[in-house]
Amino acid sequence: MTSDPLTTGADARPAGIDGYPGPFPVGRYAAGLRERLREFAHVCVLGEASGVRFGRGPNVYFELRDGDGGIPCAMWRDDFDRSGLTEQDFRDGVEVVAAGGCDYYPGGATASPRFSFRVKQLKLAGEGDLLVQLEQLRRRLAEEGLFERQKLLARPALPKRIGVVTAETGAARRDFLAGLERRGWHGTIVWGYAPVQDRRAAGAIARAIQDLAVVGEVETIVVTRGGGSIADLWAFCDETLCRTVALLPVPVISAVGHHVDRTLIDDVAAVCCSTPTHAAEAAVAVDCTAARGLLLDHARRVDKRGRAAVLDRARALAALSRAPRDRVAAHRTHLHQKAREMRAASRRWLALRRDNQRRMAAQDIDRKREAAAATVVTGRARLNARAAALTRAADALEARRREALRSHGAAIRGHDPERALERGYAIALGPDGTPLGSAAAVREARDFELRMADGLVPARVREEEGE
Amino acid sequence: MTTQPVSYESAVERLEEIIKRLDTGEAGLRETLDLCREGRELIEYSAGELDAVGKGLEELKLDELIERLEGAAQ
Repeated sequence: MTSDPLTTGADARPAGIDGYPGPFPVGRYAAGLRERLREFAHVCVLGEASGVRFGRGPNVYFELRDGDGGIPCAMWRDDFDRSGLTEQDFRDGVEVVAAGGCDYYPGGATASPRFSFRVKQLKLAGEGDLLVQLEQLRRRLAEEGLFERQKLLARPALPKRIGVVTAETGAARRDFLAGLERRGWHGTIVWGYAPVQDRRAAGAIARAIQDLAVVGEVETIVVTRGGGSIADLWAFCDETLCRTVALLPVPVISAVGHHVDRTLIDDVAAVCCSTPTHAAEAAVAVDCTAARGLLLDHARRVDKRGRAAVLDRARALAALSRAPRDRVAAHRTHLHQKAREMRAASRRWLALRRDNQRRMAAQDIDRKREAAAATVVTGRARLNARAAALTRAADALEARRREALRSHGAAIRGHDPERALERGYAIALGPDGTPLGSAAAVREARDFELRMADGLVPARVREEEGE
Repeated sequence: MTTQPVSYESAVERLEEIIKRLDTGEAGLRETLDLCREGRELIEYSAGELDAVGKGLEELKLDELIERLEGAAQ
């Protein structure tokens, strides 16, 4: 007898409910459920992938869907890598064949329990029908020129009334309002609430858009919702909705999904935005707070220029009326200034000239002093040379004179009467001692002296001689 | 004689042209006075447009508007 894993351990002490076994501890029941689900036959299933997520964990999560339903799937990353597919291959919308079986994660104290089809092997089954249909519709609308019509509409930068189509309780509504608040915009919003995901969504959104254009008297319409899988956003690829938007005379701004999502309404809308906040900024292109400041600045500048144009001309006219008197005064001032400048220039010129003369005189004196000094030096040298020459000449003259004197002395000594006396001659001297040079003088003197070398000898002319 | 601007952005654009012209100082007295008058009109218009979206956010529901219109028609 095999025990049922779901009811094993039915030893619960609290009272149960009549007609139902148990109560069993839920964790044990969950573990039993997992065992039971794992006993299901492993099979291959065919469907379109959506919500594909490659997280940091060991699992790849996605959903497989077709027109009748779908199941959540999980696949170990190792199994996925072994399948030969890449992250680029395995994306939302591709049709795949997945092999595996049912699994159940019982969860824990902090982890949520979850059912999944545990995929062991995976292979592509060709492009998904949804994406193929979408591309075909996109091409058809583009060929009809419906992508351009909205983009040709004039879009007000500062609309007073904006229509918004979105879910009443979605985060998109809050984000859109926050975006408007950042713009400082506090106009009128007409909310056209509509489902944004189920099969009624496309028709409801189209009706809301048309009603907003007619009844709401809005200047711009924004269609927005948060992100999701391509299946979640499929309503925004509806042909009727897209044709309605394309032909609308009011500009439509789409902000559907995240920046990676591209729905058909994005192509036909006047502007495609990545987020509701971005859509708010696109709907109100003007930063109202900054614009008020700028307008105030413009007002001041216009006012200033206007007043300045009048005042400047009034001042110019007043100046013209004062012109003759001012002109004379200006000339007088100018002349006085020139006179002062001339006097100052004269003083400067005289001082300069005096300085120049002083400088030149000083330079002349210096030159003369230097020349005189040089002359003195030269004269001194010349005098020294001449003195030396004179000394030499004097010495030579003295020598010559000495020689001549010596020669004359010798000559004189040769004629010296003393020498003749020494040779025995005698000189007759008159009474007065004067030499008697002739016989007549001796006769006349009668008495005389004979001077001999060794003394005087008195002498007398004999009588007969004297007679 | 100036014409009423068709939108806030065209008014601001024309206003900036006027200020640019005034800033050059090349406009004569008559032209300056005309430009100032036109500029003041544009400022008044633009301020009115900004005031219209500055008095307080008003939120309406499309369904209620339709009901109101349908009620008025009956």
